[in-house]
Amino acid sequence: MATNSGSDKGTRNLVIGMVAFIVAVGIIFSFISNRANSNYAIPATVSEADGYGIVLNPTATPTIDIWVDYQCPACRTFEVLNGGYINEVIAQKKAKVVFHPLTFIGAESIIAANAAACAADENKFVDMNLALFQNQPNNENSGQWQAEAMLALGESVGIKSETFKQCVRDGNYVKWTRNVTDASANKNVNSTPTIRINGKDLDRNTEYGDPVKFKAALAAAGVK
Amino acid sequence: MADKFKVLQPWVTLLSRLVLGGVLLVAGGLKVGNLPKSAMAVRSYEMLPIPLANFLGYTLPWIEIGMGLLLIVGVAVKISGALGALTMLAFIIAIAQAWARGLSIDCGCFGGGGAIDPEDTKYPQKLLENMGLMSLGIFLYFFPKGRFGLEK
Repeated sequence: MATNSGSDKGTRNLVIGMVAFIVAVGIIFSFISNRANSNYAIPATVSEADGYGIVLNPTATPTIDIWVDYQCPACRTFEVLNGGYINEVIAQKKAKVVFHPLTFIGAESIIAANAAACAADENKFVDMNLALFQNQPNNENSGQWQAEAMLALGESVGIKSETFKQCVRDGNYVKWTRNVTDASANKNVNSTPTIRINGKDLDRNTEYGDPVKFKAALAAAGVK
Repeated sequence: MADKFKVLQPWVTLLSRLVLGGVLLVAGGLKVGNLPKSAMAVRSYEMLPIPLANFLGYTLPWIEIGMGLLLIVGVAVKISGALGALTMLAFIIAIAQAWARGLSIDCGCFGGGGAIDPEDTKYPQKLLENMGLMSLGIFLYFFPKGRFGLEK
């Protein structure tokens, strides 16, 4: 068996070298392609200090942070159950609310997050956020959420400006989603939805799915 | 008995290589397309400091692919088998501690991961899977020479 051990060793080293090369290039490419960068374009309402989230009522207290993925079914459920109350809190300036759209589910989450950010520039984030969840496709990355669908949703909440259309079509804030993801990673956000009040996690097993308990949790944190 | 083992061992080695290597390759391959999610899966075990967990989330899938390739083609089987077994041991420890602490997480073994509903956790099943794979790695460490390996 070992008659040809010289060339066998050569083959061995060659294969090990190739595999090591694939692994090294893969790792380097992965870090580069997901890199966050403070130079990426961000919507006017986004604040780096707030984890690159979209900030509503920046001077109010307490702070409610909400991490969602527009394609995540549990996020839709959360929005259906508690979104109305959150929007009331926002409208009456009872709290600073920071939305962090994450994009773990893939390409169409990025398209949706970009469109939500474009809507924020039109002062229509709350409406667009709701419209996205109300029109969430049944399947992930089904092909339904492309730029045209985002423009139609924008129009349905009364956004008519050309800047919005440009912003959606050009994906102005696509790279910003990497910053949101990176900031959420540093804050140990491990699921969507995740809701924190003044940095403290709500109990996902009891307070997310029950509007009464959700309201009570907000009240306990000073949302009156 | 000893003769029988001598005949069977090269085939068991081949099978172990293909199963452990195949699982590692698939597990890594399914994760490299969504590395931020892989990092999230590692973080959700709440074992490591966040920067280290994020780093591991980005690098581990590629390392799994590397080990998988070596095992499948049959090069450096002794070392990759041992590394594969150690990786599985690390997963076993991670899963067991998550279970013991009552965390509700998806193992994130083949993509996915993060917090889930308590009734959706699969700790016993995942522990058994990983123990089985670890034993294949241990076998390969002791009997690296088998059928159809690039390296004789």
